[in-house]
Amino acid sequence: MQNKIISKQDLVSFVNNLIKEKAAEEIVGVKASDGKYAFGELANASELCLDYDVTLLPPKKYFLPQKETVLKFKLGAKPSVEPVADAKSIIIIGVHPYDIKAIELCDAVYTSTNPDPNYLLKRNKATIIGVDCLNPNPKAFCPSLGTAIVESGFDLMLTDIGDSYVVAVGTGNGDKLLNKYAKTKAATDSELAQRDNQRRQALGKYKVSLNMPSSEVPGLLEASWDSPVFKEKSETCLSCGSCVMVCPTCVCFDVQDDIALTLDKGERYRQWDACMLVDFAKVATGENFRDDKEKRFRHRMYRKGMYLITRYEKPGCVGCGRCALACLAQIASPAETFNLLKEAS
Amino acid sequence: MKPKIAFFDFTGCEGCQLEVLNFETELVDLLNLVDIVNFREAMTERSDDYDIAFIDGAISTESDIARIKAIRDQAKILVTIGSCSSLGGVNCLKNFYPMKEVLKIVYGKDAKYYNTIPARPVSAVVPVDYSLPQCPVNRFEFINLTKALLLGKKPERPNYPVCVECKLAENGCVFDKGGTCLGPVTRAGCGAICITNGRHCWGCRGLVDEPNINSEKEILKEHGLTVEDMLKKFRIYDGWLEVSK
Ligand code: SF4
Ligand code: SF4
Ligand code: SF4
Ligand code: SF4
Ligand code: SF4
Repeated sequence: MQNKIISKQDLVSFVNNLIKEKAAEEIVGVKASDGKYAFGELANASELCLDYDVTLLPPKKYFLPQKETVLKFKLGAKPSVEPVADAKSIIIIGVHPYDIKAIELCDAVYTSTNPDPNYLLKRNKATIIGVDCLNPNPKAFCPSLGTAIVESGFDLMLTDIGDSYVVAVGTGNGDKLLNKYAKTKAATDSELAQRDNQRRQALGKYKVSLNMPSSEVPGLLEASWDSPVFKEKSETCLSCGSCVMVCPTCVCFDVQDDIALTLDKGERYRQWDACMLVDFAKVATGENFRDDKEKRFRHRMYRKGMYLITRYEKPGCVGCGRCALACLAQIASPAETFNLLKEAS
Repeated sequence: MKPKIAFFDFTGCEGCQLEVLNFETELVDLLNLVDIVNFREAMTERSDDYDIAFIDGAISTESDIARIKAIRDQAKILVTIGSCSSLGGVNCLKNFYPMKEVLKIVYGKDAKYYNTIPARPVSAVVPVDYSLPQCPVNRFEFINLTKALLLGKKPERPNYPVCVECKLAENGCVFDKGGTCLGPVTRAGCGAICITNGRHCWGCRGLVDEPNINSEKEILKEHGLTVEDMLKKFRIYDGWLEVSK
């Protein structure tokens, strides 16, 4: 992989050039938001925060929006249906490695069996400029899952080495953007050594880790179906859905129709839905396959630690810690539950 | 024939009826589908012939009881709109004082001319078919319910807490900012508007079907609330319910 150096000053110019020259229809990046951080439209490079810990929602929202119209229909004598899918070209700046891993998982989910046109249209128009996470949040446990550093899945990847960034060039598209809009130079061996050093130091800052190799988690879960840990941990669960709404590897949605007040036309939309919510596994006849919080809690742990990995051979949890930060009952961290199960096994 | 709908107000601030009138664009379409035969805020004619009765306001006098029973007898479908009629709402704050004292506080020396009973939701007096709590009523929810009734569909209401919509709106959590919030036990459907606008959730949409009240109370305690503070918080809208006692 090609590695370049861009000074901090020049990175500001690069981002401002992208914005001014409209290098894509939307230029978004990490900004301070409501006391935390969030991906949002950039009006100026000065808004960009590249030393953030974690964003409230993952960048998944650009490919699978919280709520999205998927078709329009007409009723009456001549009923008709028209699929709706649109996408703008977008450059997303400041994606952390764990979120890149999560996007790779979403890609697998949304392409493997029945390719999802709405997701793919948006995904294929996206450029990802990553940044290494040097200030992990206190609930993150990426190193245990191998998601703290990535070698692919980005167009460009930045690492802060003080006065400048090392830029790893992941794709031809990334290379073109640099050539057109940025001033860079080739990275020297000592600058690359500095990058390694920065990454190594960051690995030492994580406060949570798995007490076993991640490869053991699926087997551990398989053997723990009847463990009392699930009941104990889920006692205080509010079924509030915060853990699943903020998760970059949650991929579920609900589909609803909205009929106009004229009763002759309407729209079908989808909205994020998730397994920790009481009615998620309720079917039309009224039965609920996961009718208590223990079952829902266990299901989520199995999703994150076993089902997704087995099916897609990619981590089903990337260790970003968002769920644990969001959970008011302080029970949502998969690492904590996996560790408890390990101790009990 | 178009179904006839009627609006009746009991004890409340009339904010709910005003909210329904606020529709402007939708109101015209609505009038193509239904006949409004009784709406004190908007018209002077009255009729006692109607199919769907929309009720706002809580029941808080003996005469309210007789009146709501008569409406129930007449209506095929009875819907409560707003927190007062659906939950009892803010009116139930008075239930925590002796009724005599309440009358004296409000009417002073004229208290003897009035009667009052502990405030209660409509459902405590007559069966209610559908409830749309929110203070004031959510007009989109009102329209959606009306559409569903006209189409013969089961009206859907979210059975998950406000936190879901709060996360979808990408708000920072009130608890992280040093505040407290009833979002984790309150039924969503408002789009978490209060939090999105910089406040917290007061619980005006009532509780979800399976609220984990113990856990919510534990969290409120951890964030500095005393038992007394907590009850005060729940009593604003849920005064009629066990959680406030
Ligand atoms: S389960 Fe939690 S830690 Fe894992 S990816 Fe989802 S939000 Fe992040
Ligand atoms: S685990 Fe925590 S965040 Fe998730 S639903 Fe339960 S209480 Fe909410
Ligand atoms: S629910 Fe709120 S807006 Fe409606 S009548 Fe009661 S106090 Fe007024
Ligand atoms: S602010 Fe309130 S509604 Fe939003 S996530 Fe926090 S507790 Fe839930
Ligand atoms: S956020 Fe809470 S108080 Fe505000 S409208 Fe929604 S349910 Fe009512």
